[in-house]
Amino acid sequence: MLPNLKVENLSCVRSEKAIFENLNFDVFPGQNIEIIGSNGSGKTTLLRAILGLIRPENGTIRWLDGDNNFNEYRTYDCFYQGHQLGIKNLLTVFENLNLTHNAKGLKKETIHKCLERVGLSNINDPASSLSVGQRKRISIARWLLKDFKIYFIDEPFSALDDEATDLIENLIIELNTQGCSFVITGHRPSQVEASRIEI
Amino acid sequence: MNSIFDWLTIILRRDLLIAFRRSATYITPLIFFLIVVTFFPLALGPQESLLSSLAPGVIWIATLLASLLAVESIFSEDFRDGTLDDFFISLEPSFVLVFAKVLIHWLITGLPIMAASIIAAIVLYLPFDSFLPILLSLILGTSFMSLLGALGAALSLGKSAILSAIIVLPFSIPTLLMGTSVITSSINNQDYFGFLMIMGAMLAIGIPLLCLLTVEALLLNYD
Repeated sequence: MLPNLKVENLSCVRSEKAIFENLNFDVFPGQNIEIIGSNGSGKTTLLRAILGLIRPENGTIRWLDGDNNFNEYRTYDCFYQGHQLGIKNLLTVFENLNLTHNAKGLKKETIHKCLERVGLSNINDPASSLSVGQRKRISIARWLLKDFKIYFIDEPFSALDDEATDLIENLIIELNTQGCSFVITGHRPSQVEASRIEI
Repeated sequence: MNSIFDWLTIILRRDLLIAFRRSATYITPLIFFLIVVTFFPLALGPQESLLSSLAPGVIWIATLLASLLAVESIFSEDFRDGTLDDFFISLEPSFVLVFAKVLIHWLITGLPIMAASIIAAIVLYLPFDSFLPILLSLILGTSFMSLLGALGAALSLGKSAILSAIIVLPFSIPTLLMGTSVITSSINNQDYFGFLMIMGAMLAIGIPLLCLLTVEALLLNYD
């Protein structure tokens, strides 16, 4: 089986200081990678470098295409969730899901199902009235909008209660069985079955 | 192509909905424009010849300043709340995002200013014949200002709001000159079509060039 993503000798330097050096890992379908590190260790920078938001100093990032070739450009959709959740306070819960590019062409019922799956029933409430945990659930509902091959989630378990943590863990297991992979970050190892990389 | 159009529609629907729920976004530039324009007759007195000779400059300076009021907000909220990351990571062309943002800025600032310019023309004793050239010059000029504004906003993301105005204003001088020339020519019954053609050419070149520069400027904020 070929990996969907190959990261080879990846190094990032900021202000003449090496953030991480010579990182190597492959992301295989249905498998997870967990990046462990303290604050400022470069976890977010790593995710952003892989996704092309930041130019790395050295190394290559290669993505598998439909013809089983590895390219430096990506041909499939990935999901990225950073520290900020991309929730708009002036939109309702439903609109926050419906008016994203990943919801393009989806029926209302599909969006309702995604929200129900994460336990959100107050779909016409403005997002500004939601708690931090509920806002996080909107962003988790976005995972389900379509089939992403790889999910890049920055600290998915921070500021969550036990119920929401279980929800995320179960969703990761469920999506893994469908062949989706996760690259997640955290300060300490989570309960998710994953290959761990310390930076 | 369909996919790009769908994406453009989603961004437009989302941002227009947010803009209408936050009415200050489109009311503030409009009120500012009207206040600046009506201050001139109050300060100079109701002398028809003086006001109509100053009108082209007054309308255009008020337009430039008013359109800069909402410039900072073009990308700042999307950058702060992580929506911008989402756009750049999608496989859709980033050019479309910037174009959509420029279009929204024009719809919530340029379009209301155009409507208010008719009131300004009446207040400043401009002849009825000059209304059409005013509107035509404002369509082209405010669109170009929105493009310039997007670049300024991208370059000053996360910094002081006044910085984007300082970046944009020097580059708006050609628009100011052409815009005032259109109105002045129409008042003097001269041909103004050439000035409109130049403004149209600036817009035609500006759409691809400034949108691409804005994409690059936005990406600089991640480094």
